[in-house]
Amino acid sequence: MKRFFLLTIFLAGCAAPPQGPSETAPPPVPEAPPAPKENVAIAGLMESARSDAAAGRLVQAAASLERALRIEPRNPRLWHELARVRLRQGDGAQAANLAARSNSFAGSDAQLRAANQGIIEQARTAR
Amino acid sequence: MARRKRILRYFGYALLAGTAAFLAFALYLDLRVTGEFEGRRFSLPARIYARPIELHAGSRLRQPEVEEELRSLGYSVGERDEPGWFLSQKNELEFVTRPFVFWDGPQRATRVRVAFDSGVVKTVTSSDGKDLPLFRLEPLLIGGIYPAGHEDRVLVRLQEVPRHLVMELVATEDRNFFTHAGFDPRALARAAFRSLTGHTEGGSTITQQLVKNFFLTPERTLKRKFTELVMAVLLEMHYGKEEILETYLNEIYLGQDRDRAIHGVGLAAQFYFGKEVRHLSVAESALLVALVKGPAVYDPRRHGARALDRRNFVLHQAKELGYLSLEQYSLARSQPLGVVAKPATGTTPYPAFVQLVHRQLRSDYDEKDLRSEGLRIFPALDPRVQNAAERALATRLAQFDREKRFGPPGIEGAIVVADPQSGEIEALVSGRDARYRGFNRAVDAARPVGSLLKPVVYLTALQDPARYTLVTPIDDAPFVWKSRGAPDWAPQNYDLKFHGMVPLRTALAQSYNVATARLGTDVGVEKVLDNVRRLGVDRPMKPFAATLLGAVEMSPLEVAQLYQTLASGGFRTPLRAIREVTTQEGRPLARYALRVEQVIAPESAYLITAAMQGVVREGTGQALNSVLPPEVAVAGKTGTTDEQRDAWFAGFTGDRLAIVWVGYDDNRAARLSGAASALPVWGDLMAALPAEPLALAKPDNIETVLIDPQSGLRADLSCPGALELPFASGSAPSQRAPCASELGVTVQEVKQKAKSWLDRLFGR
Repeated sequence: MKRFFLLTIFLAGCAAPPQGPSETAPPPVPEAPPAPKENVAIAGLMESARSDAAAGRLVQAAASLERALRIEPRNPRLWHELARVRLRQGDGAQAANLAARSNSFAGSDAQLRAANQGIIEQARTAR
Repeated sequence: MARRKRILRYFGYALLAGTAAFLAFALYLDLRVTGEFEGRRFSLPARIYARPIELHAGSRLRQPEVEEELRSLGYSVGERDEPGWFLSQKNELEFVTRPFVFWDGPQRATRVRVAFDSGVVKTVTSSDGKDLPLFRLEPLLIGGIYPAGHEDRVLVRLQEVPRHLVMELVATEDRNFFTHAGFDPRALARAAFRSLTGHTEGGSTITQQLVKNFFLTPERTLKRKFTELVMAVLLEMHYGKEEILETYLNEIYLGQDRDRAIHGVGLAAQFYFGKEVRHLSVAESALLVALVKGPAVYDPRRHGARALDRRNFVLHQAKELGYLSLEQYSLARSQPLGVVAKPATGTTPYPAFVQLVHRQLRSDYDEKDLRSEGLRIFPALDPRVQNAAERALATRLAQFDREKRFGPPGIEGAIVVADPQSGEIEALVSGRDARYRGFNRAVDAARPVGSLLKPVVYLTALQDPARYTLVTPIDDAPFVWKSRGAPDWAPQNYDLKFHGMVPLRTALAQSYNVATARLGTDVGVEKVLDNVRRLGVDRPMKPFAATLLGAVEMSPLEVAQLYQTLASGGFRTPLRAIREVTTQEGRPLARYALRVEQVIAPESAYLITAAMQGVVREGTGQALNSVLPPEVAVAGKTGTTDEQRDAWFAGFTGDRLAIVWVGYDDNRAARLSGAASALPVWGDLMAALPAEPLALAKPDNIETVLIDPQSGLRADLSCPGALELPFASGSAPSQRAPCASELGVTVQEVKQKAKSWLDRLFGR
């Protein structure tokens, strides 16, 4: 449980200043590269999801991402972001499945694939 | 003296007895009237909304579709002071939305301009010209969850009733309502005086009318009137004016729809104007108040002139008492009655969907809370999709009835439409009369699925690429399956012929029973059934070979789950009817989150989808090509059961999955195949909506190879009719077809050559 708590804090640290000791945290999930040119609606939802996630409002972050997925269900970045949120919520199984879903749309985006692989491995170690 | 004393004493006794009797009578009345009031007192049913329309640059929405949604929301045409209107111009729509509290927060009234361009939203801007990246329209209210016996009542809170409606009511029916104690002596006197001069006037207060409504009896005696008066006073002693008014507004009888009484302003607003009570204008409210005096006499649909007179009288009363300004009055007076032509027949136009929502909620909420706490439910129902599905089914079933002439009861059907990626149910049709609240075939009718199960058999084979590919020859020669404890089983093909060795993809495309039975028993019945469960159908299935050919019953909803997993590349997402639930005030209570589980390897899902695209391209689903452009590349499967009792079509495009069942409730042989009945319904439904082409993301370990359909071997461009087919890496045939050139040039090589030639030509 403690380990998970630290993990959560660490992941929050990806977007906000670190709030706790990070030396015991697991290896970081590489940050997904900035998205290429996108639909502004999607970009806006992604942005609010990121700021919600940074502020710890994970339920809202997930809701924004799902709303974006209704518009662009094949956007691998959205699936990836949702996987990150689920991981922070402690739902490793969902995180891994969502990362796999992201991979299925990722094509040749090696960086995104690596980030997804990172989530899948973290989910495994967290269990 | 003594005699006088005695008389006085007797008189005293009598007075005492009389008082006691009156008190007992009053107590009795008090119990009756408060009991009645408590029983009807306010409980706010859960409210169910449709999905909101999302507007952004690139939304695939046509202008008339958005206009229709605004009209359904009760928006008026032409600019007004209050929100809730729209203006339509060529390729442009301007409107002011009403405020609405969404699950993720409130949205203020907003003035928006939307530009359209050839079926797509081009821009969405606010009144100051700024781009709105994403804008949500308020959602349509599609139903509620009501207490038993109140199924057709749209209960409203006093706060939702427009002030002008309340004031018009008070001005017309009971002008001293806010000050009297339940009865109004002045009004009574006035009524008595007027009745002497030949007029009839009620003189009853709103409270008295409410009491009268509680104990509806035709009796109009003085004793009755007195009883009502006492009860009205008692009611006023127990409850506040607002409680009484609210109950009155929900109880009052305002019309008749065949055998259904229209009680309450909520339902009446829907019945006469097709909108929520909170959106009624001054003139519309006045008509409802006009109806209080006699819904039959002033029926606006039958006696328009009379209704108009009475409405204007109501407006006049309200103006006289200063509740309406002169301006409001003359504007309202100049308006037509504005009654909608066709009354909706129930509290929801989509009873089947609402029933499904209710069931899903019941597993998480107390039934009492659902019916009284005013929860707000946000499902994914898309009225556009729902209406297209209803229309497709009703039109085709009527046609089948005419052609087959089986007589009543007519042939029935059901449809489930879902988004394959999110698992959200967009539409649910439970029968040809979609307004009828009855047997929900889409959810509760378990029928044999026939060939709809075949894709699972082929999927199971394709999961073993070392043994099976899309071109592996399968034997369609006579086959008998023997097992202990079950009679021998020798399946027949639909055309009663055997086809010898056929490629695996053709056996599925042509839906050959014999080849499928052989393939399924080769890979193992248990293994196939295991896959059925993985795909999301959890019901007991007999491990018999006949099960492979669909001797198992499922509801259309279960079939939809099975196909959802196939349609999303092997990721199962539990089908959901609901997105979110909030309290009455808009505080979020629950989210039904998107969940995915990878249950089938992406390669296998990719291969079976390609095979199912073959069903439509060249197999039993070919007829779809005449209604949908071939580039949509639909994947699907027809299904027909013994003696054609059940006809099915299940299929998906890039963004939509639909299951159609057609058959008779009493299991009669319908003499219609899946291709002849369910498929055309499916085609009509999909053709009415924009369709995203089905282009699955190709997994890494899938390669496409050009194949000669004759030999099933590697082809090149010199082979006529060569097909590009997917294979799991390393499983494609290595041998070249006879038609392929000796040089062994592959497509990739030819493409590469052409590209470099072009590059040289243009000096890149």
